[in-house]
Amino acid sequence: MTGRADANPATRDAAPATAAAATGEAGATSVRLFGWDAARWRWVAAAALLAAALYAPFQLIPFHVFQLTMVLVYAVALLGLNLLVGHAGQISLGHGAFFAVGAYAAAILMERWDTPYPLTLPIAAAVAFVLGLVLGVPAMRLRGLYLALVTLAIAIFLVPLLKRFEEVTGGSMGLTLAKPAPPAWSGLAEDQWIYFLVLAVAVAAFLLAGSLLRSRVGRALHAVRDNEIAAEVMGVRLSFYKTLAFAWSAMFAGAAGCVYTWVIGFVSPDSFTVNLSITLLAGLVVGGLGTMAGPVLGALFVMFVPGISQEINDAAPGVIFGLLIIAVMYVAPTGLAGLAGRLIRKIPRKE
Amino acid sequence: MSALIVENLVAGYGDARVLHGVDLNVGQGEICAILGPNGAGKTTLLRALSGMVKARGTVRLGGTSLAGRSPDAVARLGVAHVPEGRGTFMPLTVEENLRLGAFVRRGKKDVDADLARIHTYFPVLKTRLKQAAGSLSGGEQQMLAIGRALMSRPRVLLLDEPSLGLAPLVTRELFRIVQAVNEEERTTVVVVEQNAHLALGIAQQAHVLETGRIVLSGTAAQIRADEQVAQSYLGYRV
Ligand SMILES: Nc1ncnc2c1ncn2[C@@H]1O[C@H](COP(=O)(O)OP(=O)(O)OP(=O)(O)O)[C@@H](O)[C@H]1O
Ligand SMILES: [Mg+2]
Repeated sequence: MTGRADANPATRDAAPATAAAATGEAGATSVRLFGWDAARWRWVAAAALLAAALYAPFQLIPFHVFQLTMVLVYAVALLGLNLLVGHAGQISLGHGAFFAVGAYAAAILMERWDTPYPLTLPIAAAVAFVLGLVLGVPAMRLRGLYLALVTLAIAIFLVPLLKRFEEVTGGSMGLTLAKPAPPAWSGLAEDQWIYFLVLAVAVAAFLLAGSLLRSRVGRALHAVRDNEIAAEVMGVRLSFYKTLAFAWSAMFAGAAGCVYTWVIGFVSPDSFTVNLSITLLAGLVVGGLGTMAGPVLGALFVMFVPGISQEINDAAPGVIFGLLIIAVMYVAPTGLAGLAGRLIRKIPRKE
Repeated sequence: MSALIVENLVAGYGDARVLHGVDLNVGQGEICAILGPNGAGKTTLLRALSGMVKARGTVRLGGTSLAGRSPDAVARLGVAHVPEGRGTFMPLTVEENLRLGAFVRRGKKDVDADLARIHTYFPVLKTRLKQAAGSLSGGEQQMLAIGRALMSRPRVLLLDEPSLGLAPLVTRELFRIVQAVNEEERTTVVVVEQNAHLALGIAQQAHVLETGRIVLSGTAAQIRADEQVAQSYLGYRV
């Protein structure tokens, strides 16, 4: 009997993640409504949401289908950011850069090498992953404000870099591409087809992230987030798991960037300024850190709230946007997902 | 046979040296108590053993040198450190905390079996498995911390003031369990304790640490018999 890891490294511990961890809420005992526990309800909610998502494009006008598609794009990006910020407890003010890398990887592959669009997704994700790994190794040695500053720097130097390598990136003009065309058998309009492509990517991304988080590795990330020192004495290699979280979150951001290119059919440096990175982080925090619903709610926020701000005050939309963030954080300090959880717990229930 | 050999261990924080050459020799399956006043360096000693603070000198676990290794590497070699303040992962459930204890091991079946084993030592944890660990009482959290450490099947268990903040009754229960674990699993234990009476009750050997040096060593019985000396020397009751 030794303390060494015994054989069979393939056996991944697949114990079901429990309610408190999945929602990231300290002290929350599991909610039971009509005899179903929180985990069961979560699946029901996810299934209902998926059913609505499958039905929606046949009921909405193309512009709204496009908006919904963009919500899914942002949801994938926020899902990645959530792995890093919400689950591993590290900060990134530069995740827009990985989104941009995915978007440009897809655009360049399609433009310069005529790569069929489905192939751009794994390549863009892989490029972002590797870049996340390379930048994550030094970045993840830093903490708190230092890490924030370095990730911010990544976002800042990206735009000039994209403009500089004009032959590849198209410079300030950007690159314009053909959008994925719906195959004849589908009978779908272009916007509907793209919507379903992105929906498939989003569902796959959520399933992948969910299984990552339920694995032994997911537990290690939570341990690092909740108590670094204790995690380390449990045998969790901090630098390894932080870097892995950084690379994964970059990978999801890259995948989101790739499908963004499919949706928009155009990339230019000015779409990926520091502003995007900040908005993503704000959206995630508003949506709810460390929850599965957080990225979806955050994506709705990222997609619609800037537009609403514009309508309220055309002159200074930023002011309204900022005020709305403050308002949400005042009402729901744990984000919209946390607020939803609190409201559900208010519903009277049988024990 | 020695489980843990420490020679001339020097450690500190930055320029501030806290340990000035500590020697220990803990036999396989023994319980070793480290006593001493506040600020003596007891916590620092355990931290140096588990790699949490940089140290110079010899630390050998069986035939393996631990010197200069990172905490996660030391944990993988079989040293489980229950830190001062317990190191509970508050938002995670009790079960997740326990499973994290087995992080260095693979094989779900073994881990499940160990979970059951921990429940026999700490029945209260079994009824709290799905509860957030942060909602446990102090005593329960200490049990969780020890249970979590045992999940790694350690060769050496380092306990830092398990009695801290606990009621006397709970503390006694905790020490009884530590003794049971030691007897049944032959786990070597190094326990740092302010409550010398309890620690000496379960330990075979004991050392008194003062300002980073061991000033008194012997069997638990000897140290206990030395009460007079200890009392005048340390200024607190053994
Ligand atoms: N993280 C730290 N950074 C700097 N100095 C520290 C740190 N931790 C402890 N010290 C110093 O090291 C010395 C020994 O502290 P240590 O915590 O090892 O004592 P202790 O014997 O465990 O005391 P107690 O019984 O109060 O827990 C003290 O003078 C303390 O101020
Ligand atoms: Mg101490």
